[in-house]
Amino acid sequence: MKRLTLIAILLVSTLVSMSFSAAASSTHGDGAEGEGKIDPKEIIFEHLGDRYGWEVPFCHHKSIPLPIIVFGSDGLHIFSSERVAHGQEYVDGGKTFRLAAEGDFKGKVVEIVDGKEVRPFDISITKNVAALILTVIVVCALLLPLKSYYRRKGYKAPRRWLGAIEALTAFIYDGVIKSTLKDKASKFAPYLLTVFYFIFVMNLMGLMVVFPGGANLTGNIAVTLVLATLTFFVTNIFGTKHYWKDIFWPDVPLWLKFPLPIMPIIEVFGIFTKPAALTVRLFANMMGGHMIVIVLTLLIFIFAQMGMAAAGGTAVVSSLFSIFMLLIDVLVSFIQAYVFTMLSTIFISLAQENPHKEHAGAAH
Amino acid sequence: MELFTPDFGLIFWMFLSFAVLFFILWKFAWPAITKMIDQRAELIDKGVEYAQQAKQDLDHAQAKAEEVMQEARRQQADILRDADRVKTQIIEEARGEARQAAAKELDQAKLQIEQARKEAEQNIRDEVSAFALNIAQKVVRNQMGDTKAQTQLVDSLLDEIEKKN
Repeated sequence: MKRLTLIAILLVSTLVSMSFSAAASSTHGDGAEGEGKIDPKEIIFEHLGDRYGWEVPFCHHKSIPLPIIVFGSDGLHIFSSERVAHGQEYVDGGKTFRLAAEGDFKGKVVEIVDGKEVRPFDISITKNVAALILTVIVVCALLLPLKSYYRRKGYKAPRRWLGAIEALTAFIYDGVIKSTLKDKASKFAPYLLTVFYFIFVMNLMGLMVVFPGGANLTGNIAVTLVLATLTFFVTNIFGTKHYWKDIFWPDVPLWLKFPLPIMPIIEVFGIFTKPAALTVRLFANMMGGHMIVIVLTLLIFIFAQMGMAAAGGTAVVSSLFSIFMLLIDVLVSFIQAYVFTMLSTIFISLAQENPHKEHAGAAH
Repeated sequence: MELFTPDFGLIFWMFLSFAVLFFILWKFAWPAITKMIDQRAELIDKGVEYAQQAKQDLDHAQAKAEEVMQEARRQQADILRDADRVKTQIIEEARGEARQAAAKELDQAKLQIEQARKEAEQNIRDEVSAFALNIAQKVVRNQMGDTKAQTQLVDSLLDEIEKKN
């Protein structure tokens, strides 16, 4: 308890002093350069979005260069993001590339063709892609040791890290997958467990604000879209005959399906709304969490323009709130990974129904 | 809005990295891990079942032991009672036999006494007759003081012996 108080005091005093210096620099900057006004919207979207290169902590203008891979008008081009980092144009094999300063492709790599900006086919290793690769490595590093542990020690229960991983795996496997899918659990468990760990690690890495983390991955709709699409495919490819029959010829009064197929239309619509709900739920939850923390931090700089006292007060309150929010986000990270896995499991199990079984809780 | 338009590059890489991760874990991690979790759960279930069974067996065994003890005590009491009964019976029998033996002995003794008495009677009779003969001899010897009579007597005696032989 004593140590906790000490940490809190240190934290608050650091925050206050930092906020004063921030306020001082912002008022100073206001006079000197005339661009002390900050644009919160731009900063928020810059942090939530993707970019070429990964910024290093405490230095906004330097970033770790990442490879840009584009298929331009004459084929493949690979170059470092450093070459176009500050608005320079880069000429590679006779073609000119730069980051679009404005317009539809703002912040993206564009090729200059006849004086116009054309978006090439872009599969660059951006910050998000690098974070993805990192996530894959981290998940492997978490789970492969557990497997080798089992090979070495057999039935002996693991301790510490491995024990935690095992407990988490057992929680999902026993609590969600096995209890829902019953005897088909082993067929779908690899997919569902991979989804869970992938989302969970992505979420947690996104909460770390400096280098190896900080990428807003699960708050990016492309990522959640791919995951939901995979669940969609797994659900429908492994769906039973009965599942398809229930969609196109459900057990409802005849006038509901013939001559006007009302129920089948609703059911078919339902096939697509399920993954859509998965996509948006995870995306919105994680993006929201990131956004709140960024906004709380930005408040300090907005209030800093009003003077020292306001800045100091806001700094303390905002920082405490953002710490609180980040802690909640740790919980949310787990809950969202859990919910995504659970819903995927339920969708898959609904497509595994057999005619002789009772329709137990067939919710849509 | 940029946030709501999925970027193709990211979709591509996301799909690829998920596929790679899934393949690695599906090939090397999940089968072993889920199998182990299942097996351990089964082992624990079996252990609990075994422990319950063992406890039940133990309770049962204690009850059984108690029963056996009771039975043994009962048997002991029976045996003791039997033994007591047999003891009295044996004593009773022994007494009867002893009485019989004593009666037999007494009869035999009586018989022997009777025989002895008869023998004694015979002996007395013999001795009395011997005494009588001796007395008679002496009386006869006194009567036959002279030689003639003696000779006559000797002769008669010799004759007698001769006749006997």
